[in-house]
Amino acid sequence: MSPELVSLTWLIPVPPLVSFFLIILLTNRSKALSHTIAIASIATSFVLSWIVAFAAFGTPHFGAEDAIGALSVPWFDVGSGAFMMGVLVDPLTAIMLFFASTAMLAIFVYSVGYGNYGKKLDPHDKPGWPAHNGVDPLYSRFFAYLSLFAFGMLVLILADNLLLMFMGWEVMGLCSYLLIGFWYARKYDDPNKITPRQAGVKAFMTTRVADVIMLLGIVYLYFATGTLSFREIMFAQEGEMLRHLASTPSIVAGLSQASLVGILVLIGTIGKSAQFPLHTWLPDAMEGPTPVSAMIHAAAMVSAGVYSVIRMYPVLAADGLVAHAAEAAGHAAEAAAHHGPVITTPMGVLAFIGAFTALFAATIAVAQNDVKKVLAYSTISQLGFMLAALGIGGYVAAAFHLMTHAFFKALLFLGSGSIIHGMEHGAHHAHDHASDPQDMRYMGGLRHKMPITFVTFFIGGMALAGLPIVTAGFWSKDEILLDAWLHAPAVFYTLALAALLTAFYTTRQLWMVFFGAPRSPSAEHAHESHWTMTAPLVVLSVFAVGAGWLNIPADFPLFGQLVASLGLEPGWLHHFLGGTLVEHPETPAFTLVPLITSLVVALGGITLGWWVYRNAWKTSSDVDPVERTIGGVIYGLLKNKYWVDELYDVLFVKPAFWLGRVFFTGIDKGVIDGFLHGVAWVSVGVGNVFRDYFDKPVVNGASDGSGVAVKWAGRELRPIQTGRVQQYLIMVMAAAFVIGFFMWAAR
Amino acid sequence: MDLLNSHLLSLILLTPVAGALVLLLIPRDQVGALRWTAFIASLVPLALSVVLWLNFQPDIAGYQFREDFLWFPLVGSDYRLGVDGVSLPMVLLTALLAPLGVLFSFGVQDKVKAYMILFLLLETGSFGVFMALDLLLFFLFYEIGLIPMYFLINIWGSANKQYASFKFMLYTMAGSLGLLLATQVIGLTLGSFSIENAVTAWPAWSGTIAGLSATTVRAIAFWAFVIAFAIKVPIWPFHTWLPDAHTEAPTAGSMMLAGVLLKLGAYGFLRLVLPLYPVEAAAGAPVLATLATIAIVAAAFASFGQSDFKRLVAYSSVNHMGFVALGVAVAAWTAQHGGAQEGILALNGAVLQMFNHGLSAAGMFLLVGVIYDRTHTRNLDDFGGLMPLMPVYGGLLLFTSMASLGLPGLNGFVSEFMVVRGAFPVFSVLTAISMIGLLMTGAYILYGIYKTIYGPLNTKWVGHTSDISAREVIAWAPLGILMLVLGLAPNWMVSVINAAVARLF
Amino acid sequence: MSIPLSWYLALSAALFSIGVFGVLSRRNAVGVLMGVELMLNAVNINLVAFWHYGAFGPSTGLAFALIVIAIAAAEAAVGLALIISVYRRRKTVVVDDVNLMKF
Repeated sequence: MSPELVSLTWLIPVPPLVSFFLIILLTNRSKALSHTIAIASIATSFVLSWIVAFAAFGTPHFGAEDAIGALSVPWFDVGSGAFMMGVLVDPLTAIMLFFASTAMLAIFVYSVGYGNYGKKLDPHDKPGWPAHNGVDPLYSRFFAYLSLFAFGMLVLILADNLLLMFMGWEVMGLCSYLLIGFWYARKYDDPNKITPRQAGVKAFMTTRVADVIMLLGIVYLYFATGTLSFREIMFAQEGEMLRHLASTPSIVAGLSQASLVGILVLIGTIGKSAQFPLHTWLPDAMEGPTPVSAMIHAAAMVSAGVYSVIRMYPVLAADGLVAHAAEAAGHAAEAAAHHGPVITTPMGVLAFIGAFTALFAATIAVAQNDVKKVLAYSTISQLGFMLAALGIGGYVAAAFHLMTHAFFKALLFLGSGSIIHGMEHGAHHAHDHASDPQDMRYMGGLRHKMPITFVTFFIGGMALAGLPIVTAGFWSKDEILLDAWLHAPAVFYTLALAALLTAFYTTRQLWMVFFGAPRSPSAEHAHESHWTMTAPLVVLSVFAVGAGWLNIPADFPLFGQLVASLGLEPGWLHHFLGGTLVEHPETPAFTLVPLITSLVVALGGITLGWWVYRNAWKTSSDVDPVERTIGGVIYGLLKNKYWVDELYDVLFVKPAFWLGRVFFTGIDKGVIDGFLHGVAWVSVGVGNVFRDYFDKPVVNGASDGSGVAVKWAGRELRPIQTGRVQQYLIMVMAAAFVIGFFMWAAR
Repeated sequence: MDLLNSHLLSLILLTPVAGALVLLLIPRDQVGALRWTAFIASLVPLALSVVLWLNFQPDIAGYQFREDFLWFPLVGSDYRLGVDGVSLPMVLLTALLAPLGVLFSFGVQDKVKAYMILFLLLETGSFGVFMALDLLLFFLFYEIGLIPMYFLINIWGSANKQYASFKFMLYTMAGSLGLLLATQVIGLTLGSFSIENAVTAWPAWSGTIAGLSATTVRAIAFWAFVIAFAIKVPIWPFHTWLPDAHTEAPTAGSMMLAGVLLKLGAYGFLRLVLPLYPVEAAAGAPVLATLATIAIVAAAFASFGQSDFKRLVAYSSVNHMGFVALGVAVAAWTAQHGGAQEGILALNGAVLQMFNHGLSAAGMFLLVGVIYDRTHTRNLDDFGGLMPLMPVYGGLLLFTSMASLGLPGLNGFVSEFMVVRGAFPVFSVLTAISMIGLLMTGAYILYGIYKTIYGPLNTKWVGHTSDISAREVIAWAPLGILMLVLGLAPNWMVSVINAAVARLF
Repeated sequence: MSIPLSWYLALSAALFSIGVFGVLSRRNAVGVLMGVELMLNAVNINLVAFWHYGAFGPSTGLAFALIVIAIAAAEAAVGLALIISVYRRRKTVVVDDVNLMKF
């Protein structure tokens, strides 16, 4: 890459940061100026990102030593050396830049309409509460936080080392806290419903649990290799350092250093990408404004989690290098034949958690009635797909699905925001205060009222369900299933089932929202959203359809040759992304079973959903057909998310509060201060004892006593003074006698 | 100019005293004159410290800007000053926090003269500790700082000031008794109180005192030193004076207490305990690391369980200083048992954490002081949703809280990362446990913000509270700017620290 | 036959003792003075005896004795004068009654 372009690269995250500071410090009062600065900044980053990305796309063998963009500076000195930080552009970075910047730009533009820009400030609207029909009172601040979020994501993408990536990661954590809790003053009458500020804290703290463990992993990697730079660890010298990490035992028995680092880092992803057991924050994050949900759950934050494990994949898979080498040393004949990627311990953990979460979340999504909650659980589920794919060695499949998911999930979230806005407008017009604008039971028939939203949401939903051929979701999901079929059948069956459920609940959602008759006055009077909201939807839907065509495998029946005949490279993504790794991952050979399975689960799920729901949900108080089928108890289990939140509250949250009190009141005040007060009390007591039993009687007594003694002696000797001369003379005689005696004795 | 060059440290050290003397002459009702004189008297050392920083050369080993005058030739104690890469940031920190404290204290209304004089004397005491190269001088300044602080808490403090000031004073002094005794032993056996001399001569000394062998004497002296500094840092379980003292002190007093006085203890560890007792320190390092980890975790939980905002911040100080203690423990261990890279990183991190914590703690106490001045309560349950009423304050509180929390991009993260990086390979289990403390740090910070500026608006404050004033923002601003700068580009400071630390390994 | 020195000394001692007894035990002040005279005379006898029986100069003892006699006379005069003065004031010559200087 040309040096000019590389120096341009570090500029990419800068405009959003500048926008953040400008809005916070200067333009807070002017809404127009604030959003203009914000959108201009993200647009600049977008343009720069695409320039860099396409330059990378056009570079042959991008990813090899001489064909990447890198620039680093010393960040802090250590001993005689320094820790370096900088930017790196390799194939994975290029892909991330491509889709993340696009999605974020769409979200920024969308936020203008979502914040009701153009409407007057409603005097009933208070800061910290969602606006009813006027412009949001904290409109400028929203763009400031969004800009900071974009900054964090871009830093994370462009980081050339794990520490800088972690820094971007944490900045996004902060922004998610600020944005989820954006309506900080909002409270609900129902005490069991989580408020936005509580949800913000929950998100921050849940991900922080994962983050502090990930920090240990980062620290350990730094210790084991002396660097955190991606290229140095994973690419330099044909991956020499990876082999070293895989063959050195770590401080945890049974794990190599690579495995330990891999596990610790993937725990970070479990938190950030909301996998079981750290998934509970994501559904509650729906309390934030919808563009935030799109940002966090599609474009940026959860993508960051998946990106980090994709980036760290060589370390996770490092044990396999050593295993292969051992094989090669021992069995020369078989050495050449790879049996697929070795599933190392961290990869196994990842695959298990990913697959489990994919199915787990999909089952919960079936029973949700809030339009955003369905999308939330579907996000968790899709992330599970990606992580499972990575865990079984499907490097490109995971990245591919990450990209397509970013597009169609952002589309779906923004679409849901449009739906909710439409419902709110309808509620305002119809003075309907009984129906919750986010609850799907009160929707229905919106396809007539909000056509653009309908079409784009439909496209996104079909992409999520994996409608064959025409949607990007199909291609990426198919690749995952292909990899799973070839390398890990257990994962394959789990993911296939989850895909079926995905298609099912998506169709359910589409039906409940857009088809049938409106079930409430709000739905009756809903109308289409502002162009600033619908235009991004349209743009994203193009990507939701087209992004899949980047990676149609060459040996795919019919379409492989179609793509090649058009002059495009089939399986381009696979080839391009492979350059990130030292060894290009092999392209899985086309197999019929996974394709059939993809078609069956997608089409089957959609059909099943249509068939179950086509006559259901006539009124808002209907019972869901699934509930009728599987019974209220199991349905309740699904609807209440398997009571995991309540479990955590008992296991962790309440004990934390209790410990807080224990440490302060019990230990500090009780034990330690009690000890100190005891020492003080003993000291005062000892002092008193000394005073009462020594000082007063002995010392004082001695000095008093000497006076008394003198007085006594005087009083006793007084009688000698009789005043009688003869007496005195007798005494003289006696004294003379005594003296004379002594003089006689001493002679 | 020559005076400036050859006596820079003495000037920095004695300007506040000179200012205090000038203040004596100003009548006590001329409050404006008192305030501004005190402010200028505290600004001069800041300017001189910046000059000091710019002229300091990190690549030269040993102390720079030395001054050497005869003081007590009979016992071998001299007035000897000097700075190196470890003490220079501390001098800068003290010089920075004092004028900000004075500026914030413009809000103090009664007995302004006494207040300002005491504050300036406190500043001198702190400078002296960091600059002293003589044990007796070190001890002198160490103790001098106690008296003004005692009075600041006792007279201008809040409800429980008697108890808090008494506890602070007695506890610290009790610890210093052993320090005094041990110092005397060193000085008399070596014939000189010079620290540089002691560093080479004391570990090698092999005489006897009262029939006790050198090893025994050193061990006893080691514990004497450790106890004294452990109380000051503070290291769990010697920390209980801190919540009371910090909470009851006036805001500027808390700023100096948390920002500077705690560092005296940590500095004592670095400057005296580690060099003078390398073997004993290495043996005691696991204990210190354990106590540091307990401090990190217990203080985080205790902070989380608070309802008093100021006490929450006070416990956060114990939590952050736990990292300093952990870094010191790692350095002590690796100096004798190998692992120089870990030791360097941990010690770099510890010194940087001292500076960073000085900034963020002072910032937090300043902001708590702002809200206390407005609402006259520190009880978190009394606040509620103050963001719309005090938006600027809310933003500054968020920023400072994030620095205290260790958010990457702000200063706290850099030092905590370096300490954790140094500690994990050496004390793996303890470092892993301290992650719980790091987790709870997030919890209590968010809790503080949650109760104060977020949530439904508590209507009782509407119309009764104003946003942060310009003077207070100016007092906060240098801290905020440094927090951001050190978070994004820490090497201007780390390189100085590193140059000095690397020579120790 | 010559009289041994010791006889004179015995006589002097006896006189002295009687004088001491008189001084210490007589009620009347004049009696006390008489005792004092006796003591002085005893001393005189002693002096002269030692002078006569020792190897002294021709007038050593004599001079000493004369001085003693003179002092005795003076002292008796003064003493009697004091007694008379006391009698005129206190109307008594009993020694024990003149005890104003007691505690």
